[in-house]
Amino acid sequence: MAISATDPLAGPAPLVAKPQPPAAPRRRLVSEIARHRTDYLWVAPALLVMGLVIGYPFLYTIDLSFYETPPSSPNWYPNGVNNYIQILTDPGFWSISLNTLYWAVGSTALAFLIGLGAALVIQREFFGRSLVRGLLMIPYVISYVAAAYVWRWLYHSDYGLISGVLYESYIIDSPINFLDSTSMVMLSLIVANVWKEFPFAMIMLLAGLQTVPQQLLNAARVDGANAWNRFWHVTVPTLRGVIIITVILLFVGNLNSFVLVWIMTGGGPAGASQIWITQVYTLAFQSLQYGRASAYSVILFLVMLSLGYFYVRALTSGGRRREARG
Amino acid sequence: MTTVAQAPPSVRAAPRGWAPPRIKMLDVISVIWLVLLLAFAVIPMLWMLSTSLKGQFAALSQPPEWIPSRPTLQQYETLLSPTGTVGPIFLRYFLNSLIVSATTTVLGVLIAIPAAYAFSRFHFPGRDVLFFAVLVRNMFPVVVFLIPLFILMRALHLVNTHWSLILTYMTFGLPLSIWLLKGFYDNIPEELERAARIDGASRFKAFWLIIMPLSSPGIIATAIYAFIGAWNEYVYALTFLNSENLLTLPVGLQHFFTEFATNWPGLMAAAFIMSVPVVVMFMVLQKQFVRALTEGAVKS
Repeated sequence: MAISATDPLAGPAPLVAKPQPPAAPRRRLVSEIARHRTDYLWVAPALLVMGLVIGYPFLYTIDLSFYETPPSSPNWYPNGVNNYIQILTDPGFWSISLNTLYWAVGSTALAFLIGLGAALVIQREFFGRSLVRGLLMIPYVISYVAAAYVWRWLYHSDYGLISGVLYESYIIDSPINFLDSTSMVMLSLIVANVWKEFPFAMIMLLAGLQTVPQQLLNAARVDGANAWNRFWHVTVPTLRGVIIITVILLFVGNLNSFVLVWIMTGGGPAGASQIWITQVYTLAFQSLQYGRASAYSVILFLVMLSLGYFYVRALTSGGRRREARG
Repeated sequence: MTTVAQAPPSVRAAPRGWAPPRIKMLDVISVIWLVLLLAFAVIPMLWMLSTSLKGQFAALSQPPEWIPSRPTLQQYETLLSPTGTVGPIFLRYFLNSLIVSATTTVLGVLIAIPAAYAFSRFHFPGRDVLFFAVLVRNMFPVVVFLIPLFILMRALHLVNTHWSLILTYMTFGLPLSIWLLKGFYDNIPEELERAARIDGASRFKAFWLIIMPLSSPGIIATAIYAFIGAWNEYVYALTFLNSENLLTLPVGLQHFFTEFATNWPGLMAAAFIMSVPVVVMFMVLQKQFVRALTEGAVKS
């Protein structure tokens, strides 16, 4: 105790040696805030509603996660970390986590690769380019609800287009149960999800590709680098920041993605497509276990927060590089 | 090393006398890839449209008909006729979606504009921290807020009103709106306002007279983004509303599904009608977006 208490004292020591007393910056901060007080009026409405609709509920969730909330009674009582222990020791949690990982990693990887491939062809000049770009982006703008019903219809085992076409071309001899079989359901959902979100990766990477210096590509070409080497040694390093941000946003979006799974399968069959987010919803609004669902949310949030750290780091390093260049 | 460097000139020198059309391997692959990509993106949408033009039983034919042999607008008539059993309900959902999305958009943009301007121009203490707090919102899972917001809305007596949705959508749309608008303000040279300030205009007046007109393309783009977000939202609408006559389209569609379980053409027609406004708006947004990107490129 005594030893550890002396350690922090070693930290501030150099401060004393500095010419400025530590009180001065604080007084300057107060006067700075006072000088800029009207500036805060411009951001006040935004911060106010965000405090009410985001800040308060967030803190409330954390609080609620330490409570036992019996569905049928208004008597909520604190139960410490019991909710967390029950979630983490439930064997169902780990199978749901595995589904979530499969869903998020599979969707992110495929959407990124297809989006990158799309960006690379769209980037080239050709007739009808902007029309093609517009058509490719339609899946991204329509609602998840419409997308979910369209894919449910495409996957229909008796009358669906995919099963029908495969049957007619003698590839299969009996209809496929895309959404009703425990082995096919995740892959089927991932394909629908990739359809919905690959355009997002495409526009992000397309914007990034426009920052790749053309002279550098030409120089590499003159030096005899083939298309692959130009891509790998010139394009990819320039895009590094955009790639990181795109992958993180896709991944977080997939962890948050509720509608597609909920409407297409509801987590079924037999829990084969249950992921974290649908499980939280089921816990909260079907089992009415607010406390347990809140604890689940907090666990999810901690996962996202660790990803958010990388997101902010990628954003700030990108900004710093831009400032240095401009 | 030397062989690699020498190879390209010899390749390039070869087709000199007869100048054949130079079809490169990469071009062929690109075209095939582009066709596959377009098929993947567009076929589900076309299938939605094609199904919506079929009769209820024609849609169940096997093998599937790519183009309906007897196309009919019957599904659209049923959905959009103000008389009948289905029409009034569907039109009610449509109107509800319109009310919620439009109100969300107007209020959200009004709040986002001054905030984005302040983040772009002013240097008040805590600016960067606040800005990142705004951005990090995107990392939060939607469900984290679902339970407490439901409890909050219940306490405010807003559950089962459109205001619960408007307040939620508006706030959740703010980070993106502020981020987009800030980008537009960053591109407007500060000298313009400085000149106005020297001429005696207040900061607000300089903002109102100089910046607002210049940033109107950005405001339109931001508004369309906010509108699309609100128009498509499902989870909160599912949780906050339960009166039939208040439901928005995404949730209402689900009612159609359970009520008319086998009527796939009807459901596809409803999904198509729901998609039309956002797709049209996106076509408008696309131009704004390209312009914003090229403007940035010209500047650097």
